[in-house]
Amino acid sequence: MSVANSFALRARYRGFELDATGEWDVPCAALFGASGSGKSTVLEALAGLRPEVNGPVVLAGERLDGTPAARRGVGWVPQDAALFPHMTVRENIEFAARVDAPTSASFVDALEIGTLLDRGVRDLSGGERQRVAIARALAARPRVLLLDEPLASIDRPLRSRVLPFLERVPQAARVPVFLVTHDPLEVLALAQHVLVIEAGRVVASGAPRSVFASAAAFGGVAALGAENRFGVRVVERSDSTLRVETSGGCELSMVHVPGFPNPDTVAVRAEDILLAAGDPGRVSAQNVFEATVAGVEAIGEQVLVDLDGRGERWRVKVTPRACASLGIEPGATLVLLIKAHAIVAAPE
Amino acid sequence: MSAADLTEIAFLSLRVSFASTALILVPGVALGWLFARARFRGRSILRAVVLLPMVLPPVAIGLVLLVTFSHGSFVGDLVERVFGASLLLTFWAAVVAAAVMSFPLLVVGAQQGFEAVPRRLEHVAATLGARPARIFARVTLPLAARGILYGVVFAFVRGLGEFGATALVAGHVPGKTETLSMAIYARIESFDDAGALALSAVALVLAFSATALAEAFLRRRPER
Repeated sequence: MSVANSFALRARYRGFELDATGEWDVPCAALFGASGSGKSTVLEALAGLRPEVNGPVVLAGERLDGTPAARRGVGWVPQDAALFPHMTVRENIEFAARVDAPTSASFVDALEIGTLLDRGVRDLSGGERQRVAIARALAARPRVLLLDEPLASIDRPLRSRVLPFLERVPQAARVPVFLVTHDPLEVLALAQHVLVIEAGRVVASGAPRSVFASAAAFGGVAALGAENRFGVRVVERSDSTLRVETSGGCELSMVHVPGFPNPDTVAVRAEDILLAAGDPGRVSAQNVFEATVAGVEAIGEQVLVDLDGRGERWRVKVTPRACASLGIEPGATLVLLIKAHAIVAAPE
Repeated sequence: MSAADLTEIAFLSLRVSFASTALILVPGVALGWLFARARFRGRSILRAVVLLPMVLPPVAIGLVLLVTFSHGSFVGDLVERVFGASLLLTFWAAVVAAAVMSFPLLVVGAQQGFEAVPRRLEHVAATLGARPARIFARVTLPLAARGILYGVVFAFVRGLGEFGATALVAGHVPGKTETLSMAIYARIESFDDAGALALSAVALVLAFSATALAEAFLRRRPER
């Protein structure tokens, strides 16, 4: 059986190995994984922007590997929207427009950016930037639209405003969408098919509800896509709390839901860990301990900090501003704060 | 010194500087782009060679030019065959001297301009179907314009003030190679302090006007 979209990508660089395969044939599919799992690399390789990544790429029935980005006809909307800063919204959209004016106007209407057309792009909000970037990509009449974390740069309350626009795209523009996200709720809201990527490999795929089902049974949908994952054994349990010990010897307090089996793996999302410089005083977080910064890496508009503490390696996501104000640099000692609620049982 | 003399010298300097900046504009921008975007063997050596006029004494550069364009040398004879006369001691000798001395400033400005353009904007433009020439003209070049313009202004002003290399290859031929710097030096040598001061004031006004114009242009054209 031939499917409309598939890839089998391989690359090895800077200690990271990508070996990801996937196929789908639905209007909207999602590539789901944690920061650093390789999902943006896959997306950029599909767009033709990663010459170091090899392997067949088929999108909308066309074999595209070996075709330069400019002739792939693949719309790519990066996480930061990458609008041309020296152009107005209208000039951005018209930059490479291959659709006629009425069609272009229909995208502008569907994305509700008609009032922004003559504005510069610097003072647009995160949501507006994303919508303009999507309209610009659609105006080039792509065979498929690739969206990299389309909601990540938008504040949570605003996401519910932008989500409907994303839902509308595949139908309104008759363009299939392939999106990258680390949020299971986005997958459930938008995609009919999901590929789960971990450390450069696609480890599961299928209908989102069935892929997430096993995780959901443990109450751990949130564990999917989490950057921190540890094998654990339970050392103490009470009605409300579970004390577990990781294989590296770190004791953690997590919420105990009576009736659920003991977890053998737990996960914490990088954005659910707080960092403090110095003693944070009395706090509600159950897990507070010192850790040393081992590495700092900027990914898009976020900063990923690797820390060593209590025998484990922790990955924490902070904003560049927080990174600067806390003086985060390799060798610095910080305090990690993790709420018991942020530690969830993960599927194996 | 009469006002007519002053005007003639100022105009000659401006003509030399305009011509030398025009001469190096395209190769300077191209090299700036190459240093900002391309990684190739010998890149650091080429860059060091291009930047040499910034660190070497101008007189030494003038000597190299003098040897290069003198009668009997390969380049000198080639110029004489093609143009029917030697380059030395002419208006164009002053232009070449100013061009060589100001070239690194233009290259460095252009390189910094291109380095400030995020690669992902060029990548997005490519996925939108734009060919490299269009990406360069519509995305890269406009976003690098600020750096390039600074490079152009510094190169122009450097050309106005050029003395050491010009003295060796163009000499002091009133009406032909008597630029502001050459004229100031000649006035000092002949104890005409008033003339030297007047010429220095003109040089100051020209250099200040060029930088102020550039600043005003950049302010009027803010990045959106």
